[in-house]
Amino acid sequence: MTRRDRAVRAARRGAVVTGIALVGLAAVYVRALMFTPIERTQGPAQKIFYVHAPVAWAALLAFTVCGLLSLLYLIMRERKFDLMAAASAEVGTALAVVMLTTGPLWGKPIWGTWWTWDARLTSTLFTFLLFVGYLVLRGALSDFDVRARFSAVLGVMALVLVPFIHVTVYWFRTLHPDPVVLKPEGPSLPSVMLVTLLTSIGVCTVLYIGLVMQRYSLAVLQDIREEEEAGGGIP
Amino acid sequence: MDVVPGEALMLVGGNGAGKTTLLRLMAGLLKPNRGTIHYSGAVGMVAHHTMMYDALTARENLTFFGRLHGLPRDGRVDRLIDLLGLTHARDQRIATYSRGMLQRLAIARALLHEPDVLLLDEPLTGLDDAASHTVLDVIDELKRRGAALVIASHQLVELIGAVARVGYMVAGRLAALEPIAGLDAGGVVSRYRELVAGDG
Amino acid sequence: MGELLRVTAAIARKDLKVEWRTKTAFVSSLVFAVLVLAVLYFARDKTSVGDYDLAPGALWVTFTFAGMLGLNRAFLLERENRALDGLRLTPTTPTALFLGKVVGNLVFLGVVELVSLPLFILFYDVPIWRQLPVLLGVVALATVGYVAVGTLLSAMVVRTRFSEVMLPVLLLPFLVPPIVSAVQLTWRILALRPLSEMTGWLSLLAAFDVIFFTLSLLLFEAILVE
Repeated sequence: MTRRDRAVRAARRGAVVTGIALVGLAAVYVRALMFTPIERTQGPAQKIFYVHAPVAWAALLAFTVCGLLSLLYLIMRERKFDLMAAASAEVGTALAVVMLTTGPLWGKPIWGTWWTWDARLTSTLFTFLLFVGYLVLRGALSDFDVRARFSAVLGVMALVLVPFIHVTVYWFRTLHPDPVVLKPEGPSLPSVMLVTLLTSIGVCTVLYIGLVMQRYSLAVLQDIREEEEAGGGIP
Repeated sequence: MDVVPGEALMLVGGNGAGKTTLLRLMAGLLKPNRGTIHYSGAVGMVAHHTMMYDALTARENLTFFGRLHGLPRDGRVDRLIDLLGLTHARDQRIATYSRGMLQRLAIARALLHEPDVLLLDEPLTGLDDAASHTVLDVIDELKRRGAALVIASHQLVELIGAVARVGYMVAGRLAALEPIAGLDAGGVVSRYRELVAGDG
Repeated sequence: MGELLRVTAAIARKDLKVEWRTKTAFVSSLVFAVLVLAVLYFARDKTSVGDYDLAPGALWVTFTFAGMLGLNRAFLLERENRALDGLRLTPTTPTALFLGKVVGNLVFLGVVELVSLPLFILFYDVPIWRQLPVLLGVVALATVGYVAVGTLLSAMVVRTRFSEVMLPVLLLPFLVPPIVSAVQLTWRILALRPLSEMTGWLSLLAAFDVIFFTLSLLLFEAILVE
């Protein structure tokens, strides 16, 4: 099976995965809106949480995967790691945009403002900016080898940076609702809400995987076409 | 392909044939995708760009590169400047230098660490007669001292007398590597055309 | 080790010599620093924002942006006449090149900072003299982290077309930990707070410096190889 055939097959599979995830997302929505009780203190607006938190999780996953793939590329210098890292970054950026828009939508009814410079919002904003910087750098370099190496370096640096940003901003201020799930004593959400939330997290993860598969396959196909246009094979 | 001490080898080929790429590979500036390069001594290179700093003088530039190589301060900087005929301008910033002077300074830089192999990419381009002569004299002197030279150039007439072998580059490959065997510039061109025709 | 030091020193000295001859980046940075300080000073409302509140931020905004003007010159220099190729033809290791550039940048930035500091004192009524050694220590610590990451990123960015804009875009997120720490520490130093309030930020700054200096050094080689 040629590289092209494999890529096309991966793209189809990716589309299937994405499709399943989108159906799952719709199902989660239905459950969240109809079958999950309204939270006492925050009211109906709290339901955005079922989208916002899992998407935030998926964005963070995308970011971490990008950083790890970047490291792998630097060690092993295989093209596919670079293409996968870039795919993860693009998907992550899209997820981050969703996260940054749902955050204020949730925040305005509850806190009264669209934006606050609290620890988690600010950290995620900087993660988003790092993603954007990564993509801008890639866009500015046309040579494949240079682009792959440089973005891999940036990816690794960014991955190490994120914990630092988090600590910095957290010490600075904290306003975000205290973690309701990842607390040492265990989740404090009632089980109904917890199930909705965990399902949503699972669905978002699957969505991430599907989108990355599609994006990566597309990148491989693009790569193949560029090789053919250049008239030579790259071993 | 191999290089022989005391001998000059000329690379000929059209634009984009790969002469510069081959020289950069030999200098270690590019890494080969396949194959290996074996070095038995140091390599020096002279190319189109001077690879030096406009704001510094000839002496400062050479002293700097000497330090990077870990060379002793044994007056070699001044000796090389004299050898290449730049004594009168050695304390001027090289931004003021003519093309010929820059080329000669680049040769001085390449010779600092006394390389066994010297690579020259279009060494005579843009030089007037006097400067060309100086460079050709240096090439002869280097051969006498046992260095191996690889010269990529279009200027067959001036250089043909100095080379022992010719490497013909066609479409990114070394199509043939042959002794000069008494060919003149015209002979080399014909041979080159033969090889291009054979390749296409 | 001796060779490393020799090459590092040679590169740093060459960079500073070239910069001294042309002075463009240095003058631009200084003028920029003065402008930023002056604008921040005149733009605020003295009755509502006190010196203590604004001064640390003003100082670090000035240093950050004036510094960025100087970072790109280090590798732009090597693009002229393909000087970088000349360096690669010598036994210079990537580590030595990185360290040489870092030292050059540190000196450059250090001079800009030292010249801006008297101006800062002029504008803001804060008890700087007593605290000068401690303050200088914090400035040095933050600058080291900033320059290490900035040197690595500028080496990448000079290859792109809009390097002057790309550098801030990539670098600013990396400046959050050191600069926020520096501002917090500067504020506490000027407000004469006890040392116990500063240890957290100091450790963050030190950790950032150690980790990112090492990381930048290790990753630099990947940027150089053609």
